Amino acid sequence: MSFYASTLIVYFFVDVLLAWALNLQFGWGGIPNFALIMFQAAGAYAAAVVSLGPDTGVNSFQRYVFGASLPFPLPLVIAALTGGLLAAVAGSFSLRRMRRDYQAAILLIVSLIAIQVVSNAVGLLNGSNGLTGVPRPLSGLLSGLTYDGYQWVYAAWAGAIALAVYLLVARLGRSTWGRALRAVRDDEDAAATIGLNPLGLRMQAFVLGGVIAGLSGGLLVEFLAAWSPAAWGYAETFAVFTAIILGGVGNIWGVALGTLLVQVIFLQVPTFLPQVGYTGLIDALQWVLIGTLWLVCLAIRPRGLIPARRYHAVPPAPGPGTGNPR
Amino acid sequence: MSPGPVLDVRNVSVRFGGVAAVRDVSLQLRDREVVGLIGPNGAGKSSLLGALGGQIAVASGQVLLGGQDITAAPPYRRARLGVARTFQHTSTFDGLTVYENLLVSALGAQGSGLRGSLAGGRARRQRLAVAAEATWSRLREFELADMADRYGAELSGGQRRLVEIMRCLMRSPRVLLLDEPMVGVAPHLVQRIQADCARIRDSGVAVIIVEHALEVVEAVCDRVVVMASGQVVAQASYAEAMSSGAVREAYFA
Repeated sequence: MSFYASTLIVYFFVDVLLAWALNLQFGWGGIPNFALIMFQAAGAYAAAVVSLGPDTGVNSFQRYVFGASLPFPLPLVIAALTGGLLAAVAGSFSLRRMRRDYQAAILLIVSLIAIQVVSNAVGLLNGSNGLTGVPRPLSGLLSGLTYDGYQWVYAAWAGAIALAVYLLVARLGRSTWGRALRAVRDDEDAAATIGLNPLGLRMQAFVLGGVIAGLSGGLLVEFLAAWSPAAWGYAETFAVFTAIILGGVGNIWGVALGTLLVQVIFLQVPTFLPQVGYTGLIDALQWVLIGTLWLVCLAIRPRGLIPARRYHAVPPAPGPGTGNPR
Repeated sequence: MSPGPVLDVRNVSVRFGGVAAVRDVSLQLRDREVVGLIGPNGAGKSSLLGALGGQIAVASGQVLLGGQDITAAPPYRRARLGVARTFQHTSTFDGLTVYENLLVSALGAQGSGLRGSLAGGRARRQRLAVAAEATWSRLREFELADMADRYGAELSGGQRRLVEIMRCLMRSPRVLLLDEPMVGVAPHLVQRIQADCARIRDSGVAVIIVEHALEVVEAVCDRVVVMASGQVVAQASYAEAMSSGAVREAYFA
């Protein structure tokens, strides 16, 4: 039980990072990032290859590039940087001036191409079998702990990262930069007429989101010790969209609540329950229900459970209409 | 000081594929002047406005702002240099409140720096306070202070128009381009916007208005530029233009 709980807590923190990344890109920046999961995968692969050690050659059971054994916490840093770098590359052609549905289509296609390439170019990241045996960080230093104890230490570490990212995105959301980004989201042309550079602002949001998504991938792969194309199907992206739309696009706490409901309770908890029906039935039903949930949210509560908070302007001391005291 | 034209348009043409929407148009705009840009549908008025604002690329010719060539500058850079505009379609930031619509404009590029807006600091707080004060005084001037917390999406068509014009004024522009500001505006607000146009001009801004409602043009414009088939057919006072044979032909041919 304790094992399940600590596992779910780590999943929650990883998923909430991903949701905040999407909220930054889509909720505030208006970028329909249908490739979201690809950025998490990039971080996961990056952290995996730089902690697995050098690929030992043709006879080793898995093949990959850039093998190294970097000490903690460098793999996580590299995961975040990889996510950001990939976002800069993907953003350079997908954020250009075009209709938002085209952007969505381009990003979805990029993510589908990426998963095909990774699955089939076996020498790159061991193809569809994926990478296994990723060492858990600081397992030497923490070797005194039981397996269960280590899980809880990891959950606390994931929580600390989530807290740091929370502080960052909360500050970004309140900042004048965040407001400028939302102006670009609402009307790109009008935003340009007040001196804002739409492409520049959206690129910043996209790359920042990529960094956070990459970080979440690194955190996840060091916990799971394995990563493969099965972990980043495009459907995972839609689960994150469902989570933030249910919780409340644009509201950090709403997005966290949506993540808890959709990603943890709805998608993860059933995997710990006894099997019902034939194998794969629960999985299939989950995805049907995720799609239904998304549609129901949009129909009956389009702004989510905790909607984005309205900004209340405080008039200056003399009060409106008082005129000049002189 | 030689008061040259604030906006100097030299032989500008705009082409969409093979179609010439604007052909070899030249005009000058001085400070404290409201110019009405009129003409029948398809005359190229909005295309010309787009060429001045930077939304539409110029095929040939030059646009100079205060003597500086801005022909190749993207819209956000022109805005930073002092060109403000509204659009035919409503363009309020619907997910921002009225107050935020103006504040984000008052801060403009200054507020959009990522590092600066994360770092904080006294200079930045000072700038924010100045922008907030300017926003409140603009809201009071336009008697919209009690709507400060409404979302753009919650406004009527006329209120949106006002917010769009106010948002332009937060920039302290040198040139203001208004594209059919009266479309979808209730009659009592039309009066308001007319009065505001005169006030804006008197504050030292040069204004170009594209407008179909000729009574509005007559009331607020110091002179008119009449376009037809992408070309300027007359530049004169409203009364002169309306009695000109070329203008009648353009409208009724």
